[in-house]
Amino acid sequence: MKIDFSILLLNYPYFVSVIIFCLGCLCILTQHNLLKKVIGINIMQSGIFLFYIALGNIKGGIAPIFDPAMPEAAIYINPLTSTLILTGIVVGFSVTAFALALIVKLHQFYGTIHAPHIIRMRSLG
Amino acid sequence: MYLWENMPFILIIGSLVGAFIMAMFARWKRDWCPYLTIISVGFSFILSCILVYRVAGGEIIHYYAGGWRPPWGIEMMIDELGAMMLLLLSGSFLLISIYCIYAIPREIPPSVSGWYYTCFLLTLSSMMGMVATNDFFNLFVMVEVTGIGACALVAAKGEKLSTEAALRYLILSSTGAAFLLFAIAFAYQITGNLNMTYVAAEMAKVKDQFPVIIWVMISFFTIGLGLKAALFPLHIWLPDAHSSAPSPSSAILSGLVVKVYIVSIMRVYFLVFGFDVFTGTYMRYLILVMASAAILFGSFFAFVQVNLKRRLAYSTVAQIGYIFLGFGLGTAWGIMAAMLHIIIHAFMKVCLFLSAGAIYYQTGRKKVTEFTGLGYQMPVTMVAFTIASLSMIGIPLFGGFITKYGIALGSLEANNPYFIALIVLSGLLNASYYLPLVWQAYFVSGPKKFKLEMDAIPFSMLLPIMITAAGVIYMGIFPNGPLSFLGKAVARFLL
Repeated sequence: MKIDFSILLLNYPYFVSVIIFCLGCLCILTQHNLLKKVIGINIMQSGIFLFYIALGNIKGGIAPIFDPAMPEAAIYINPLTSTLILTGIVVGFSVTAFALALIVKLHQFYGTIHAPHIIRMRSLG
Repeated sequence: MYLWENMPFILIIGSLVGAFIMAMFARWKRDWCPYLTIISVGFSFILSCILVYRVAGGEIIHYYAGGWRPPWGIEMMIDELGAMMLLLLSGSFLLISIYCIYAIPREIPPSVSGWYYTCFLLTLSSMMGMVATNDFFNLFVMVEVTGIGACALVAAKGEKLSTEAALRYLILSSTGAAFLLFAIAFAYQITGNLNMTYVAAEMAKVKDQFPVIIWVMISFFTIGLGLKAALFPLHIWLPDAHSSAPSPSSAILSGLVVKVYIVSIMRVYFLVFGFDVFTGTYMRYLILVMASAAILFGSFFAFVQVNLKRRLAYSTVAQIGYIFLGFGLGTAWGIMAAMLHIIIHAFMKVCLFLSAGAIYYQTGRKKVTEFTGLGYQMPVTMVAFTIASLSMIGIPLFGGFITKYGIALGSLEANNPYFIALIVLSGLLNASYYLPLVWQAYFVSGPKKFKLEMDAIPFSMLLPIMITAAGVIYMGIFPNGPLSFLGKAVARFLL
């Protein structure tokens, strides 16, 4: 199978967003610090948001506000993906807030936010 | 008339408004919260009954938010499966909220008991939204809200274990939601729609054009929703979260929350992708392998647990495997068995977890080795527990048998009779970890002779246990009603 690299170069925002998504996923899986795991979730979500925005954008497009002064053939970008991402950001914010509250509570219980330490302390009783 | 037309919306918004009212009462009149919750959930239950009645009359209910027609607006669609799920959700929540009156003050600190009901109604509202919606992005939002609500239900206990389990649940479930969001982005990219019906229609046209994207998309849907539905290798969060939560929360999480994700994933596989893509991307075979592994390993893990609620939680992992196995077979009987098992398992698990909570309420016992004499001290609870256990094993006349029979028929239809051996083996494994409890409760003699007495728990805790046990028997003896009701949904799935 031959890969056409010019397609990758033309669509670099998608490529970058997938890389960011994978970095976030890696961060969740490999980091032991609970705060860093939460940051990983945020990185992952940022990658997806970028993907959505890139999806709606058109090169040379303008904001989709109707203006009689504009020529007929003006290219408008797709506003739907941006509005979806507004909702996505709010959802991500609430998840982050809740996770941070739980981490604060865990720190009160165990005195650490390092996941292996917490697991060891729990197994000791 | 207004109510009649906007019923799906009022159903979902009703409990959402209830959640906010409960947040107000949490500060002002904490003692009223349980009763107000029962009123709110009872209202949802009545509306769900009417919706089921309407759907049974042959009508598929479409609701367009704000009057915007599908390609642009958000659409809610209630078909047979959706109506059944709405009835199951609101009915089970009604029973559990009755149980909560006395159980919650015992299990969670009084300062958060009002907030508990806020999360309770929030979870109900978003779960009903998830089964009713026909829009992908709306599905994502509802998935996230359910995730947060369910985590809050676990964390409400405020102990070390439950906080840690809730955090792990939250991290994994938002990871799953991120995968789901990415899958939805791919769906929007290749079809230009977010409405599931339109995505399905476009997908049928372009699926040969974008084989790689289809493949990635179906994998992301499987990871995202499978992580939340606790499909076997992705189940790691489940036992801790379900066992450390307060008993009513465990019943909700095990019996209902994981099921709505399965309903969503079934819709994605069969209604959006279609059976050909589901099989053509080999995802169906992967589901079959993971479901078989879930049944075997879930049962093995459950067998070695000492804590009663942990044993029940691992049993949930195994039972989720049944549902995935049923629709993974992809035949009419298999899908029917999966849908029926969603209902039957909800009855069984709610009954078992509420019984476990009742046992803890009366005697303070948490371990599976401490059942001695319970059959005499708590006869009603233990009879219900026994009924649910026998149903788990798959004894005829109990609900679980119907599923096993359906999956066996489905695997014959799919020319794959090996799964019958799996079902029989799993029945033996279930017996090996449920029957010792029952045997110990009735037939093991303690240091002194037990006297038969009535359960010393409030009647409002006993009632939900008895009703769910009766539901298990009802589903086992008269399965024809739900079978014929869900038949049309199965036919549409296989179209």
